[in-house]
Amino acid sequence: MPKQNPEPRSRRFALKAGLAAAASLPFTRRSSAQDRPVTKVLDFTTSADIAKAEQEGALLFYTHDGEAGAAAAIDAFKQDFPKINAAYVRAQTGALYSKILAERSAGRYDVDVIQFSDTGTAIDFDKRGAFDTYISPETAAYDPQYLSNPPGRYFCSGMTFAGIAYNTDKVKPEDAPKSWKDLLDPKWTNVTSTKQSTSGMQFVEWYELRKLYGNDYWKTFAKLRPHGFDSRAQLFDRLAKGDDRMCALAEWAGYVLYKERKAPIAFVAPADGLPATALATGIVTKAPHPEAARLFIDWLTSLRGQAVYQNTPDLLYGSVRKDAPPMPGGVRLRDFKLLVPTDMDDFLASRKTFNTDWNSMLGLL
Amino acid sequence: MRVRLPSIQSATGTAVIAVTAAFVLYPVFYLLQASLDTGDPEARPPTAYGLDNFAALPRYWEIMLNTLLVAFGATVMALVFGFLTAWILNRTNVPFRRTLEQAMAIPYYVTPLLGALAWSLLGAPESGFVNQIWRAIGGQDAILDIISPLGIAWVMALFEGSVAFVMIGAVMQSMDPSLEEASQISGANRFYTMLKITLPLVTPGVLGAAIFVFAEMLGSFSAALVLGTPVRFYVITTAIYQLTAQYPPRIPLAAALGVSLFAVMFLMLFFYRRIISRRSYVTVSGKAFRPRLTDVGALRWVLFGICAVYVLLSVVLPVLTLVYASIQHLAVAFPAAANFTLDNYRAALSQNAVRFAMSNSLILGVATATIGVALTGMLSWLIHRSRIPGRGLLEYTVMFPQAVPRLVFAFGMMWAWLVFPIPIYGTLWLLLIAYLTVFLPLGVRTISSVLLQLDKSLEECGEVCGATWAYRMRTITMPLLRPGLLAAWMLLFIASVRELGASILLTGPHSQVLTPAIVSAWFGSSSELTAAMALIQTVVLGLAVALFTLITRRAARQGG
Repeated sequence: MPKQNPEPRSRRFALKAGLAAAASLPFTRRSSAQDRPVTKVLDFTTSADIAKAEQEGALLFYTHDGEAGAAAAIDAFKQDFPKINAAYVRAQTGALYSKILAERSAGRYDVDVIQFSDTGTAIDFDKRGAFDTYISPETAAYDPQYLSNPPGRYFCSGMTFAGIAYNTDKVKPEDAPKSWKDLLDPKWTNVTSTKQSTSGMQFVEWYELRKLYGNDYWKTFAKLRPHGFDSRAQLFDRLAKGDDRMCALAEWAGYVLYKERKAPIAFVAPADGLPATALATGIVTKAPHPEAARLFIDWLTSLRGQAVYQNTPDLLYGSVRKDAPPMPGGVRLRDFKLLVPTDMDDFLASRKTFNTDWNSMLGLL
Repeated sequence: MRVRLPSIQSATGTAVIAVTAAFVLYPVFYLLQASLDTGDPEARPPTAYGLDNFAALPRYWEIMLNTLLVAFGATVMALVFGFLTAWILNRTNVPFRRTLEQAMAIPYYVTPLLGALAWSLLGAPESGFVNQIWRAIGGQDAILDIISPLGIAWVMALFEGSVAFVMIGAVMQSMDPSLEEASQISGANRFYTMLKITLPLVTPGVLGAAIFVFAEMLGSFSAALVLGTPVRFYVITTAIYQLTAQYPPRIPLAAALGVSLFAVMFLMLFFYRRIISRRSYVTVSGKAFRPRLTDVGALRWVLFGICAVYVLLSVVLPVLTLVYASIQHLAVAFPAAANFTLDNYRAALSQNAVRFAMSNSLILGVATATIGVALTGMLSWLIHRSRIPGRGLLEYTVMFPQAVPRLVFAFGMMWAWLVFPIPIYGTLWLLLIAYLTVFLPLGVRTISSVLLQLDKSLEECGEVCGATWAYRMRTITMPLLRPGLLAAWMLLFIASVRELGASILLTGPHSQVLTPAIVSAWFGSSSELTAAMALIQTVVLGLAVALFTLITRRAARQGG
């Protein structure tokens, strides 16, 4: 039976719940510690039974990440724990979600840990009672808003955020937009790119900018006849080669990658803020290798795992750990003003409108 | 004469029909069920049924029209290229015939994404190499714009339509040249003979190829994704991709879109059956013949030029473009020393997907081709040679997987094999079953085209002489079908190695294959890395095909 969570998921509520959880942390840790002693392995803490995890000998990770990114994360974990034969299956969030639900409804429980590209999918998955509860000792380094409510179901394993980017061969810096509203200038008609409705990041941008500037913002934006793509690689590939001059959803990670390749592009961080979305990772119920799953979650929440997520070229997710080191390029996540949805009920309820409006704007419907 | 089914024949036929029905109808049931699902789309089995998904389809009329237009344009182009080149290489004494023949098959080894990517690098209005060079020599704007519906049809015809050349070529190899010679002796010129004798005789092959290629184009994904999306031009597959990849996924609507293509496909198959039932296309009878080539005189150099241009456009130019792009940090037309790198190859070869998935792909390719030829050979025989009741229905059944884009059909297969009591889900076995299922139409169409040319009386002679069914198959039908069987093996092998739509959803943690990894690189990394990975796949596939060709030629020589 899917578990229903009637609690509103506003940011204030999440914060309260988080503070309550934080206040009860000694108890949680003690109770956790009573059941599961916290030990140190390599350079991180874990409540997993490592001997049992190695006895289980396997781990299956479902992820929305690309092949190279998924392989890099799993390879790094395997290097640290060679006795655990970790493997992954990857697909885009929608297909991944359908796949795991179909498997579970058929009584197949092969997956240990799953990662979604946005919190909305994770909340839905949680409502179906599909996340197990495990509070990693490493989550003490996370602010409550980056943990599920109630905690232990999933955590934010990385953050992506986006600003504006332009091709410096085609656009002079003085002509480049400085704010989100500058993007609406008709001179950017037919030369602006954005993402498709498949992107959780695009949903966040639509939601946050609509909140800031009203629904007319996107109606005016639609007049630019933007080109929609599925991935940041496609967006930056076209921007770097001049096929598009302007990118309205320029993820920082994509910008760093292409800048390293000497692409003629520049990044603009509008003062009003940068839409950001959190990846959500958690252990699924009836995981066949529960101890290995716990160990993986501890590893991923730790500085060690976060370094892999933050520095691997095919991942480049900003870490939300309080003690996270700077990202490649020398900046920290907290250096940017991020726009994160706070009223999760309103955010999730608007998904249908977004899908319809966005598909229609890109000529898909 | 009525061919009776003795027991061994009957048993084999029943087994083949049962396997085919299980492979095809089992997932089709789930697909139809999904298309009628109006409840919670994520709940299995569905919680409510209705026609809402089909009622929503008229909203997508523009996308359906786009799909039909592009598929039709690409099919016409592919058939013209395929027929012309197959005729030149199989029926005339064109120079460098064998080399051209090998080169002509290369586009089919190539993952369709690679062809689209190559032509995008060449002909994008702003960054395309051709247009960059054009502007550098003083031209204005763009001389070539591949990012358009015509561009999509062109790329689809070159890379996905090359199967027409192989299918029509197999038919032409089995043709008795005496009919063409009789025409010429009677005073007809070479082109009149080609149009009035050769073309009608290969009608089943051309029609079979037309149906197959049209269905292939309806389900084509990569060219429309790369060349259509930038100009907001969508076809059914790109729309389905969006519907299944977005959250929440709209799989019931995607299933209804896919199922709606059944109607188009079956209409075409109906006309095909009507045409081939009206007359005989037998060209291989009891009379011995030796395939001879027509001497076309000096015209052979013109024909060579036609083939060479085709090879240039479909092989040389795209492959060189991709090689050039794959050794750059950022692919541009004009070389700069600082921009050259081998990092893309280093990155490609360091990926587990390339190192391990390639062997999975090759194992699956060999298994699918070998089992597939046996299965589809039997099916072709049952459809065209036996008198079993419902054999027409069998042909329609076989075409189901071709009628639906694989991105959608894969969901049907996933739901079906997930609940199957034998645990094959997530293993290579599931991929083998999936490939055998989705490539049934390819094998049946290829072998049927050649089978229709064989005179039934050859088998009947054997029967009269007392030969058993198995003996007749082994000593009469199979040797005569050899060109078709070899073509089918090769096509199935290549198609399996480069399969994408079904693999994306059905691969398990230890059954990964290469093409999804290449597409993932396109989405997640860069076109330069994608080019490197796809070139590696093409080279490995090319070597495997060369090895197969070598072995079969040697076997043919030894066999006399």
